[in-house]
Amino acid sequence: MLSKHSEVKWESQKLAINYFRVAIILFLANLLFGLLAAIQYMYPNFLFEIIDFSVNRTLHINALVVWLLYAMIGSVYWLLPEETGIETVGIGIGKLLFYVLTGAIAVVVLVILIVQVGAGNETTIWFINEGREYLEAPRWADIGIVVVVLGFLANVFLTAFKGTRTGILTVLMFDLLALAGLYLAGMFFTKNIAMDQFWWWWVVHLWVEATWEVYVAAVVGWGLIKTIGANRKIVEMWIWIELAMLFGSGILGLGHHYFWIGTPEYWWEIGALFSALEPVPLVGMFVHVIYDWGKQAGKKHGVSNKPAFAWFVVNTFGNFLGAGVWGFMHTLPQINIYTHGTQWTPAHGHLAFYGAYAAILIGMMYIAVQGKYGLKEMRFTAAGKWGITLLTLGVLGMTMALTIAGYQQSMIERAEFGATWQGYFAAQNSRWMLQAMGWRLAMGVVTMLGFVLLFKDLLTIGPRLKAEEAAGVTANSGAASTIAEPAQA
Amino acid sequence: MEERPTSVWSSTRFWRKSAGWVTGVSALLLIWLSVDTVAQISMGTDEDMQAKKPMRIFPSTVINHKVTYEYDAKRGHEVPVIGEKEAFFGRSDYSPEEADALLRHGKLTVQAKNCMSCHTLLGNGGYFAPDLTKAWLDPAWSESGPYMAMTGTATREEAMAKFMMHPSTYPTHARRMPELGITEDEAKAIVAFLKHMASIDTNGFPRNFAKMNGGVNAK
Amino acid sequence: MIEAFTDVFPSFFGTLNRGPMTLTIFLHTLIVLPMFFIYFSEKKKIERGEPDE
Repeated sequence: MLSKHSEVKWESQKLAINYFRVAIILFLANLLFGLLAAIQYMYPNFLFEIIDFSVNRTLHINALVVWLLYAMIGSVYWLLPEETGIETVGIGIGKLLFYVLTGAIAVVVLVILIVQVGAGNETTIWFINEGREYLEAPRWADIGIVVVVLGFLANVFLTAFKGTRTGILTVLMFDLLALAGLYLAGMFFTKNIAMDQFWWWWVVHLWVEATWEVYVAAVVGWGLIKTIGANRKIVEMWIWIELAMLFGSGILGLGHHYFWIGTPEYWWEIGALFSALEPVPLVGMFVHVIYDWGKQAGKKHGVSNKPAFAWFVVNTFGNFLGAGVWGFMHTLPQINIYTHGTQWTPAHGHLAFYGAYAAILIGMMYIAVQGKYGLKEMRFTAAGKWGITLLTLGVLGMTMALTIAGYQQSMIERAEFGATWQGYFAAQNSRWMLQAMGWRLAMGVVTMLGFVLLFKDLLTIGPRLKAEEAAGVTANSGAASTIAEPAQA
Repeated sequence: MEERPTSVWSSTRFWRKSAGWVTGVSALLLIWLSVDTVAQISMGTDEDMQAKKPMRIFPSTVINHKVTYEYDAKRGHEVPVIGEKEAFFGRSDYSPEEADALLRHGKLTVQAKNCMSCHTLLGNGGYFAPDLTKAWLDPAWSESGPYMAMTGTATREEAMAKFMMHPSTYPTHARRMPELGITEDEAKAIVAFLKHMASIDTNGFPRNFAKMNGGVNAK
Repeated sequence: MIEAFTDVFPSFFGTLNRGPMTLTIFLHTLIVLPMFFIYFSEKKKIERGEPDE
């Protein structure tokens, strides 16, 4: 991904590669600060009052959100010219906004890492840290993000209106507009913490459990057409079905965050019964991918990009398991009253973010590498295989460990001690909690190893396969097919 | 497209229309529900509180009163109960303006120090430190708990304020709270924020809290 | 079957919440029922032989 070699003819796709480059660096930051925070669970004196847990965790979760957004924007810039058949309108502004956004993100990260906290006044909220989980970026950066996203949206809309507007693009346009608009719900200050949390969830939930999921449905659909030559008409029909189910369950599923924050009791029933339906479309996506795969395999249509397709499979399965199953496990209020605010949430969060979002976007990065080097067929390398295996095992392992930690915490702190201060520490110091945290750290290291291999693979797979293709090493290249030329062999 | 669907179930247009309908009506229902909820979670007024009107979010002047958390048989869980006047840092006559300013300063400081990255507020945030939802009522900060004696203070609010100004002076566990440069004014304001948060009706979260020794009739 | 009203403030949704799953049934009905109309209108179009899209 680093070399100057490029067979990309669209400027939009060159910009996409830049977005992917920053995304992968932020992915590294995401894992690195996560590891530091995991070490602090085991050894509380580690980096104490230098880079405290709060700073590590802030950077851990914000690097995650920002790298996913970068890769999401990158993926759209990648697929836009291929869908519309024309160069992205306003690509010059798009490039400028990329540098503005990256500069702003770098400043925000450095300020949170070095300045860390400020005095209790408006200046801190505007320039250092907004102190609201996931939305810690100071207000000036919020406004900057809104401006950049508006520019991005304008590019997408203008391009789609000028070129061919496919069904996939229609869904993406509608979804990105909602995604950007929702961010505004998080940009105000109130002294009323219940009101604060009410609107905060509008951003957080309606992003990750509604608009981001629809984004994934659309991009997976596009990826299936691209990698296994799925039938566009069927794919687009599926995307509409998934959109109906995702928004039908996800929008009112927001209620499962309104059980205990001062909001009325009627949210118990709404939150429970709508969010219980949230896994259904995730099963649908999984079935869709596997069904299409089987259908195309029957036609002996090769997989034109095996690593990307493997990541799509990890995506659908991880999304169903992490977001669907792990989410459902603690979504009912009768259970949630004990699990809310315990290690249950990170157990669900780790697998859900990895499965639902990281996996699909890594898959898109492989598609970009394929395009950049003009490879007809992209097969797995050893590093790629080990990368996907270790990353997946590592995240699954962390999820298991955190699930056990969550059980401990809800039983000891909540059930036995009634959520008191003493109960909190009794749970944290229990042997099983400590064991679970040890396993989480070990599995975090496995995840990091997986990342290193993935990183190496993304940098080297392109030139390597290109050289092999040129030397004719891939003897079966005649059988490997691109989408445009279905294999006859 | 030339292809004609033989069944509605395989018609893209049917699903597109359905998706549009489902999304639109869900969004409208959410807006309707939000309007209803926002009215219920807006802060009450001091007069209404004095008149004992029901309330989910009490006004800032709740800091002038004793707050307890008691089992309510009708609701089936604990609810905050606002009692008689009680001194908060030696005063129980904070005007609505003074109390609002204090709460506002407290909330700003809670954000500026990024408390939520280690602690949970109303159950949301980090899991590295205790939940602060009902921290004001916690037995750890009462006469029977360790913190008053440790900080050499006579009241809950003073113990909390003194602790958070210099947390590493009072280590209780291997996992310590770092020095965040919290000033005396900020500490007082944060305690006001915590007392206010404890008075929020959280539909019984966390469960069983009031049964814990010292948790109910704090101070 | 109809439970006593327990919430702090009375409201339309709070009242619906008193019956067995009545709040959910109400919301789901609002969302799902009109889909029958969409279904039958699409069915008519298909029977008339109108092309999809």
